[in-house]
Amino acid sequence: MRWRLSRTVPCDLLILGAGGAGLRCAAEVLERRPGTRVIAVTKVAHPQKSHTSTAQGGLAAVSPDDPIDRPIYHMFDTWKGSDCMADQDVVRRIVEAGWEEIVWLENRGMHFSRDLDGRLAKRTFGGHTVHFGEASAYRAVYEADRTGKGIMDTLWGEVLRGGISFLHQSMATELLFSEGRCAGAVIFRQKTGEFLAIQAKATVLAMGGCGQVFRVTTNCRQNTGDHLALAVQAGLPVMDPEAVQFHPTGIVGPGILASETLRSVGGILRNKDLEPFMEHYAPKMRELAPRDLVARAIETEIREGRGVLNPDHGIEHVWIDLRHLPEHVHRTQIPEVAGFFRKFANVDSRHELCPIRPSNHYHMGGIPTTSEGEVLRDAQRVVPGLFAVGECACASFHGFNRLGTNSLLELITMGRFAGRRLLGYLEEGIPVIPPDTAQATFQKFSGYMGTRGRAKIGEIRGKLRGLMTEKVGVFRVEKGLQEAISALMGLKAEADETAIRNRDLVMNQELVERWELENLLVSAMLIAQAALHRRESRGGHFREDHPGRNADFHYHSMVYMGPFGEVRMDRKPVDMSLHREGGTHAEMFGMIERRY
Amino acid sequence: MEGPYEITLRIERYDPTTRSRWVQDYRMEAGGMLRFTDLFRKINNEQDPTLAWSSSCEHAQCGSCAVKVNGRPVLACELLVANAVERFGTRRFLVEPITVGPVVRDLVVDLEPAYARVEKVKPYLIRRKDNPYGRGEYRIPPRALEVYVEATRCIHCFCCATACMSGPPNFMGPNAVMASVVRVMDPREEALEERFRVLHGPQGVRHCHTSRACSHVCPKEIDVAHFVAIAKRGKVPGQ
Repeated sequence: MRWRLSRTVPCDLLILGAGGAGLRCAAEVLERRPGTRVIAVTKVAHPQKSHTSTAQGGLAAVSPDDPIDRPIYHMFDTWKGSDCMADQDVVRRIVEAGWEEIVWLENRGMHFSRDLDGRLAKRTFGGHTVHFGEASAYRAVYEADRTGKGIMDTLWGEVLRGGISFLHQSMATELLFSEGRCAGAVIFRQKTGEFLAIQAKATVLAMGGCGQVFRVTTNCRQNTGDHLALAVQAGLPVMDPEAVQFHPTGIVGPGILASETLRSVGGILRNKDLEPFMEHYAPKMRELAPRDLVARAIETEIREGRGVLNPDHGIEHVWIDLRHLPEHVHRTQIPEVAGFFRKFANVDSRHELCPIRPSNHYHMGGIPTTSEGEVLRDAQRVVPGLFAVGECACASFHGFNRLGTNSLLELITMGRFAGRRLLGYLEEGIPVIPPDTAQATFQKFSGYMGTRGRAKIGEIRGKLRGLMTEKVGVFRVEKGLQEAISALMGLKAEADETAIRNRDLVMNQELVERWELENLLVSAMLIAQAALHRRESRGGHFREDHPGRNADFHYHSMVYMGPFGEVRMDRKPVDMSLHREGGTHAEMFGMIERRY
Repeated sequence: MEGPYEITLRIERYDPTTRSRWVQDYRMEAGGMLRFTDLFRKINNEQDPTLAWSSSCEHAQCGSCAVKVNGRPVLACELLVANAVERFGTRRFLVEPITVGPVVRDLVVDLEPAYARVEKVKPYLIRRKDNPYGRGEYRIPPRALEVYVEATRCIHCFCCATACMSGPPNFMGPNAVMASVVRVMDPREEALEERFRVLHGPQGVRHCHTSRACSHVCPKEIDVAHFVAIAKRGKVPGQ
C-alpha cells in the first residue's frame, strides 16, 4: 500500500464538522463575504445527519419586548446552573446576542412553533427563571420537539445558497501549522479511501462531542471525541474535560434522549412506589431543577432500592409519568418523543408509565477558546488562524453544568462570532503547508493496517465504555478513578494489538473504528485524569469523597497530554466580570449557593 | 416481549475493489428489543468486522440507516427484532442497500446524487416576502403552519424515493417534491412561480403515478403523497 496525499486543495475557510455551529459560522462568512471558498468536512453522509439534528427541546433567548423576562435573569440562571464556573464575559456576550440569532433563523425559514398571534411560542425549561430564581421563565423558543433539526435544515439551506463545498464521510486526522499559525488539515475521505491536504487561511473546529466514551449515551455513533485527540496531538490543551453532563431522562435500553420538554410540559418522575420523589431533592423547582441534580436524584433513588428492573435490558430505572397530560400535548408538543417510547420501549405514553434512566448527554469541557471562538494554546495566548465552536469547544458558557436549551443558543451565537472574527484572516495570504505534511497520519494509519494481533476493536470499545459509565459517570470517587485510569492504560495496550481484516482503504469501517478507538481512549483518559484531580463536586462532576464545592478548585482545568496517560495540569481563572464590575445585580454573580 | 429469537440476516454485500456482489448469511440469537442497527454491530463484534453499514443518531431522527428489509425500505435503527418477526412473518431477513445512489460498500450508499436532487429544488426561501412586521419575526398563525408542518418533519432518509415506482434518476423523488412544497406553502416564500416551474419540469411530478408507496413506507408517518398531490395541482390549497 502506498501512503501518499492524493491532492492538496487550497481554500479560504476550512470547517471541520458540519453541524449547527460549523454551518452557522459558514453562513455568516458567506453572507458577509460572498464568494468565499468554504470547505466543510463532515463524518456523516450529509450535514443534515449531524448530531445537532437530534436536539429536541428548544433554544433559550430573551426577546427585547418580553414584559417580564430580562437578559440579566438568563445570565444569572446560566451562572447559577454552571455552578459558578461559566465565564461571565462569554455568558454576557451570548445571552445578549440570542434574540437576534432567533430572528435570523426565523427570517431564513425555520419553522418555529407559534403562539395564537402567530409569534414565536415559548416554553419553560429546567433552571430558567425570572427575577433570579423566583419563578419559571417562558424563554425557550422551539420547533415542536425537533428544534435542532429545524436549525440544521435552515443552515444547510443557507450555506447551499452561499455556495459551500462539502466533503462527506470524511475525517480530519491531523491539523497543519505554518510558523505557529494554523494552515489547514489532513483529511481522510472514506468514500474514495484518499488522503487530502486542505490548505486554508482559517480553520474552524466544529466537531461535536465525545459521548461515545460512555456505554449509555444520547450521542450519535460519530461522537467519538476526535477533536480532543486532534488537539492533544497538536500539543494543545483541553479545558474542563471532567465536566460531563448526564441527562436525567434517557429511554431505558438504547439511552435515547427523552427531552426535558417532558418535564416542562408537566411530566412527573416517580419511583417504584410511584412516589413523586423530586420534592425531596428540589422542593421548589422539583422536575424543573437542573439536569445534574435531577440525574443524581434518579440515581440515588435507584441505589437506595427504589428503582424498577427492566427484564429485557437488565437495567434498573425510574418512571416518567405523562398519563395525566391532555391528548393535544402528546400530539403537538412531544410527538417525536412519544414516538420514541412507542417504537423503542413499546409503551404508549398516554396510558402507560415510561421507563427512563440518566444517559450521558453533553460535554461542557472541550477545546478552550476566547469569547470569539479563537483557540487558546494556554490561559492567555491564541493560536492564529484556528477557531473552535459548538460542543467541541469550551469558551466557557456552560461551566460545569449546562442548562437545557442553552446548547443550541451557544452553537449558533458562537458560530456567528467566530465567523465574524475570522474574516480578517481571509484577507491575508494563504499559509504554506509543511513539506512533510501527513507523515503523522500515515504513520498512524499504516500502523493500524500493519498490526497482526488478536485483540478486537469492538470488545475493547465495549470495555472502555462500560468502565467509563461505571467509574467516571454520575458518581465518582478517588479509588474508582484511579482504577479507571490504570484500566485505560491496559486498554490502550490492547488496542495496539488489533488487526484490521479489510485490507482496502475504501469505506473501511474497521479502519475508521480503529482510529476512533484511539480517540475514545484519549478522551476517556483526559476526563478521568481531570476528574481525579478535581477533589470537589461541581455541577455534573460529583465526587462522593468530596461532596461539596471547594473554593480552592475555583478555576478551569487546562489539561495537556504528551504520551498516553501522562498529563500536565494547568489552570485558567474563571471570568467574573459581571460580579467585578459592580452594579445593581453584582451580588447575584458572586459565589452564590445553588439551591432549587 | 418474548425472545430471544433465532434469526438469519441475509445481507447483500459489495466489495468495491473486486466489484463483486454476493449475499452473505449471518445466523444469530437476538433479543426481541434489539434493533437492526444493534444486529449489524453484533455482526461486526462477533462474526465479521468487515461488514460496512450506515447509521448516525440511531433513533430515527437523521435517516442515515435506511436499508431494504425483505424488499421494504425501513430505518434499521427503529426496526426491533420482535416487530420484524411479527411484521414479516419470518425469521429470515434479506437486507439490501437502498436504491437511490451507487453502493460504496455493502449497505453503505453514496447519498450525494440523491441529495443533489433535493438541492435542485432549493430547500430554502428563494425570495423572502417583505415582512409586514418590520425587523422581527414573521407572524404565522398556528392554523396556517398546521397545513404544512408535517412536511417539515422529513429527514431525507430516502425510504420514499426507494419505494417510489417512478424512482430515480428521472423523478426527483417524493422527498424532494415535499422539500419544495413546504416552501410553496410557507407564507414567507415569494418565489412560487419558480418553484412550480421546477416541480412541473422534466424531473418533476409528472413522473408520479400516485401509487402512494411514499406515504406507505415513510418512517416518520408523513402523508407524503398528500404533499405531492398539492404540487401536482399547481396551486396552494385555499388560494
